[in-house]
Amino acid sequence: MNLKKYLVRALHRLQKGPGYTYKELLVWYCDNTNTHGPKRIIKEGPKKKLMWFFLTLLFASLVFWQWGILINTYLSYSVTSSLSIGFKTMKFPAVTVCNANPFKYSEVKPLLKELDRLIEAALERILQPTPGNSSDNTSLSLDLELWNQIPLVLIDEHDKDNPIILDIFETNQTAVGNETATGNETKKHYKLAVKLCSHPGSDNCTYRNFSSAAQAVTEWYILQSTSILSKVPLHERIRMGYQAEDMILACLYGAEPCNYKNFTQIYHPDHGNCYIFNWGMDEEALNSSNPGAEFGLKLILDISQQDYIPYLSSAAGARLMLHQQKSFPFLKDQGIYAMAGTETSIGVLVDELERMGYPYSDCTMNGSDVPVRNLYSQYNTSYSIQACLRSCFQNHMVEICGCGHYMFPLPEGVNYCNNEDNPGWAYCYFSLRSSIKQRQICIDSCKETCNDTQYKMTISMADWPSEASEDWIFHILSYERDMSTNVTLDRTGVIKLNIYFQEYNYRTISESAATTIVWLLSSLGGQFGFWMGGSVLCLIEFGEIIIDSLWITIIHVISWCKGLKQRRARARYPDAPPTVSELVEAHTNPGFQPEAMGAVSQPEALPPEPGTPPPNYDSLRVQPLGPDSDAD
Amino acid sequence: AARAPGKKITARLKRTLPVRGPQAPTVSELMRWYCLNTNTHGCRRIVVSRGRLRRLIWIVLTLSAVGLILWQCAELVMNYYSASVSVTVQFQKLPFPAVTICNINPYKYSAMKEYLSELDKETKKALETFYGFSEGKSKVRRSVDDWNSTGSDFFQQIPLLKVEDLSRTATELHSGQKRKIEGRIFHKDSSIVNSADSNDIIGFQLCDANNSSECALYTFSSGVNAIQEWYKLHYMNIMAQIPLETKEKLSYSADDLLLTCFFDGLSCDKRHFTRFHHPLHGNCYTFNSGENGTILSTSTGGSEYGLQVVLYIDEADYNPFLVTSSGAKIIIHDQKEYPFVEDIGTEIETAAVTSIGMHFTQSRKLSKPYSDCTETGADIPVENLYNKSYSLQICLHSCFQKAMVDSCGCAQYAQPLPAGAEYCNYKKNPNWMYCYYRLHEKFVKEQLGCQQICKDACSFKEWTLTTSIAQWPSIVSEDWMLRVLSWDKGQKLNKKLNKTDLANLMVFYKDLNERFISENPANTIVILLSNFGGQLGLWMSCSVVCVIEIVEVFFIDSLSIIMRRQWQRAKKWWHGRQQGGSGTAPQASDVESQGHDNPVCIDEDLPTFTTALCLPLPQDRPLPRTPPPNYSTLRLETAFTEQLPDTLELGRH
Repeated sequence: MNLKKYLVRALHRLQKGPGYTYKELLVWYCDNTNTHGPKRIIKEGPKKKLMWFFLTLLFASLVFWQWGILINTYLSYSVTSSLSIGFKTMKFPAVTVCNANPFKYSEVKPLLKELDRLIEAALERILQPTPGNSSDNTSLSLDLELWNQIPLVLIDEHDKDNPIILDIFETNQTAVGNETATGNETKKHYKLAVKLCSHPGSDNCTYRNFSSAAQAVTEWYILQSTSILSKVPLHERIRMGYQAEDMILACLYGAEPCNYKNFTQIYHPDHGNCYIFNWGMDEEALNSSNPGAEFGLKLILDISQQDYIPYLSSAAGARLMLHQQKSFPFLKDQGIYAMAGTETSIGVLVDELERMGYPYSDCTMNGSDVPVRNLYSQYNTSYSIQACLRSCFQNHMVEICGCGHYMFPLPEGVNYCNNEDNPGWAYCYFSLRSSIKQRQICIDSCKETCNDTQYKMTISMADWPSEASEDWIFHILSYERDMSTNVTLDRTGVIKLNIYFQEYNYRTISESAATTIVWLLSSLGGQFGFWMGGSVLCLIEFGEIIIDSLWITIIHVISWCKGLKQRRARARYPDAPPTVSELVEAHTNPGFQPEAMGAVSQPEALPPEPGTPPPNYDSLRVQPLGPDSDAD
Repeated sequence: AARAPGKKITARLKRTLPVRGPQAPTVSELMRWYCLNTNTHGCRRIVVSRGRLRRLIWIVLTLSAVGLILWQCAELVMNYYSASVSVTVQFQKLPFPAVTICNINPYKYSAMKEYLSELDKETKKALETFYGFSEGKSKVRRSVDDWNSTGSDFFQQIPLLKVEDLSRTATELHSGQKRKIEGRIFHKDSSIVNSADSNDIIGFQLCDANNSSECALYTFSSGVNAIQEWYKLHYMNIMAQIPLETKEKLSYSADDLLLTCFFDGLSCDKRHFTRFHHPLHGNCYTFNSGENGTILSTSTGGSEYGLQVVLYIDEADYNPFLVTSSGAKIIIHDQKEYPFVEDIGTEIETAAVTSIGMHFTQSRKLSKPYSDCTETGADIPVENLYNKSYSLQICLHSCFQKAMVDSCGCAQYAQPLPAGAEYCNYKKNPNWMYCYYRLHEKFVKEQLGCQQICKDACSFKEWTLTTSIAQWPSIVSEDWMLRVLSWDKGQKLNKKLNKTDLANLMVFYKDLNERFISENPANTIVILLSNFGGQLGLWMSCSVVCVIEIVEVFFIDSLSIIMRRQWQRAKKWWHGRQQGGSGTAPQASDVESQGHDNPVCIDEDLPTFTTALCLPLPQDRPLPRTPPPNYSTLRLETAFTEQLPDTLELGRH
């Protein structure tokens, strides 16, 4: 009962709005609101009223339209970039130096001996196709099993539509000989191709043909040597590569001497042993606070070109790369060459790009949200897009071919591919490598890092050592390395490198959000203020008015319902509705009790004592909740 | 009822569309009304404040606020056309650029013999007379013998001179005569002006053929430059007369130039290359020119997946006077761009592998009115002679060529021909070289106006290159590599290739990150308006409504009040004249019609409670007359009530 009373009172209080009809409410609102338009509607004469009404509507719609645009702009999360350029103390980049050739030929010769003999014999056949010259006893001693795993074939494209495929070590040599002898002037039509089969002896074969025999030979050699070397354990491969003390002859960082012990060894599948200077994994990275070659890193390297594997890498030089302290050096992508017998000076400019992550741009901070398992994390390196792409490829390779490719790190429990265990691996590898779908999957699943650092290099070269200084330099370097007075170095092996910061050593492009929430609010406020002079409070006012009008609607609806019921009641009792006095009479006269009594929402109204004057309940009037009751 | 229909209509119109004047009778009243009712915040303070000082302060504050608004809004409008730069990086499949490869030597020397033998002979002769250089005794003797018989056509056209000193006498090479130099002296090397003591200066003289006194002497500090320049002039003359088909045959074919080709891990051949004839560099070959409609793209970075080409540079067949370096020249450009081989390009060394790592950057500027650049070049009054998309370089070259055709009557050899023109040669245009040199000088000094007409292109693609070189082939692989490459070339084994005839080139994407630098408009109209709104709101809490109010009150209303006043005065004056001064001015005749009861004075705009609720004016039930309020402002001149029929009519309604 108490609660009900309270509720009724609350209801009354709530409904006590600024007016009881829509018109009153509107007039009250227009007169008292802080937005500028409505006031004018009220205050002007009838004709101007109309004009102001339309103007207000127009402005209101303009405001909403512009708000829409602003919110859209905000949600597009655009960014602005700012550029800063200058010189400051910077971390010296990590410098990876490798030899272009992965292993010392003198060390791997026992492993590759068969292969070299095969390719030499094959070249002999191809280049000098006169049958008398090729001796049978050499071909007998060749390891033809190795050859047949991935053979090289000659394709005769003399007849374009019907190419003839010739095996180089075919038993019926006379046929080959005749063929070439007759087509001597059309020798150009011969092409060398690598035959790849999904299984040994199966017909499911493809021919990878090359426009040049040189490429075919290199490709074939890489495939075969990969298969052989993948069976060699890692420590053995490291032993076969170039050792730091043989390769790094002199080192100077700024004014401080350094030696090969300052370099971290890392095994790189492409280039064998690589050595990284300033690899800041455990210790602090070196800083450089001065521009110029005097304050940079100076290295003298020996690549011992005589000890190169002849068929594996035809380019001679050192491969080097500047990179961030925690990233893996991807020399094939970002590396540069340094030529033997020259001094290469590299001026460095650090080009940094700092981006904001989601939702401003689609990049990843540390690679944790990328769905590819990063295989390079076993080198204790951070995420990079190259690492992601290679890991993605290797994962596909393991999935489809059942073994891992030699050039990429292995997932756990998987072995590298080789010809014995996985005879069809080369076929599988090439079909995977050339599949555009696979590449697209990897591109789609990998994301670039948000903070991208590039080292822009200005490379210049000069001959080194000069003719006049050649003698004593080689003498000293040989003495230091081999403790002998004989000169063991020559022009074809030594490389001098200078790596230093340029006068302007950094260029940073950093992003900032073009639209912040503050920007959005002030723009929204500006728009609203510009057209209508409104603020948030005006919106609240408007909301209030809507609540009020809702109330009025409710009241109207209720009264309408009441009216309907009464009308129905009236329809049932076609005479006039009972007046108050009638009702009073009815109450006093128990024999005259109208049934419509229940329709009046006064169940608790007890019948008054007989003879008393009718109570002054408002509710007894026709509209118990009507606006008139309070207007009184 | 008996009014004319026209009058009826006007009356009706007046009722329905009344032209209402402002209610306030005077301008100061209007101002007061405005200040009290306006939505801007300062004005109300002015009226409401008591005390002269305070009012003054408020006036100053309001005015300064208005001033600030105007200043700030002007700033906003002036800075409207500013751009903000955004850099986006996208990792994606990238289109591979077009790679144009040229041999540095344009034509095979052996094939050019028949055209150039005369010129070469004379060049050798010049070398011998000036410097005592001779290749071999027999050759020299023969050339000396030939000397008189062939005649020195080339030296007559452009005599090579040895300038003795600055006394303006020179020895002519051919005749050995001393002659006086007339005309101006142009020094190709400015340093020579300072070192005047050296007396062995080589140069050549160019004269206006029509007016032989008009001559210019071009001198060089070094004979190397002089001979080369002199040779080049004659060479261009000769080449201009050879038709294009012949020239293409004289130059290298794709089979000659390209030994091996490898792209994206797959083999490629000459079909992937498009021939492009450059006037000074002969046949160049463009990889991925997009001519057959498809542009190759790379989806993996790294050197294995780029373009790898081994080039055959036949150094033995080089023209000794025209080019002095050996190797190849490559240009990495967009498919739509013209490769300016002579202007840009990276030179490739022989017996080495040149590894070129690319990084792709795309830039876009905003065109007018943000900056002065052109989108397509269509708005530039220079005809694009190249069949490629617009660039500043194309515009400058086309502009120069056009000026050349206009003033010299023939086209320069190194650039494409405009319609209806032909290349210069001194058989037809004996004057062209002098003309060309003069024009070129003007061009360099920006006197031709080309630099002013031509504008930057708004968007451009750029490939940043990192070039490094390694020895190739290595000592141990040299043997088999040369043998196999010789076999590829289809040559007999006894004529083995030399490694200085070969150049290896690798062009690849370092990474597939594409940088896109773009300018965006910093302001849009929406932002400008909201900034306006912010300023208006901050200083005065004003809006467009206020602006309309101001226009209404300060211009329309006050003007109409002033007009009304003038009209009344004029009418009054007229009345006075008509009544001859006897009739006094009508006075406030009836006291009853003053104050609130005067319907004219019921100012609907004053915010009374009744007007606010829009309640009908209590006209039907006249209240007991209140005494007129003591507002001085409400006291009206009687003339006003009498002589304003329209206002009256309205008030009564």
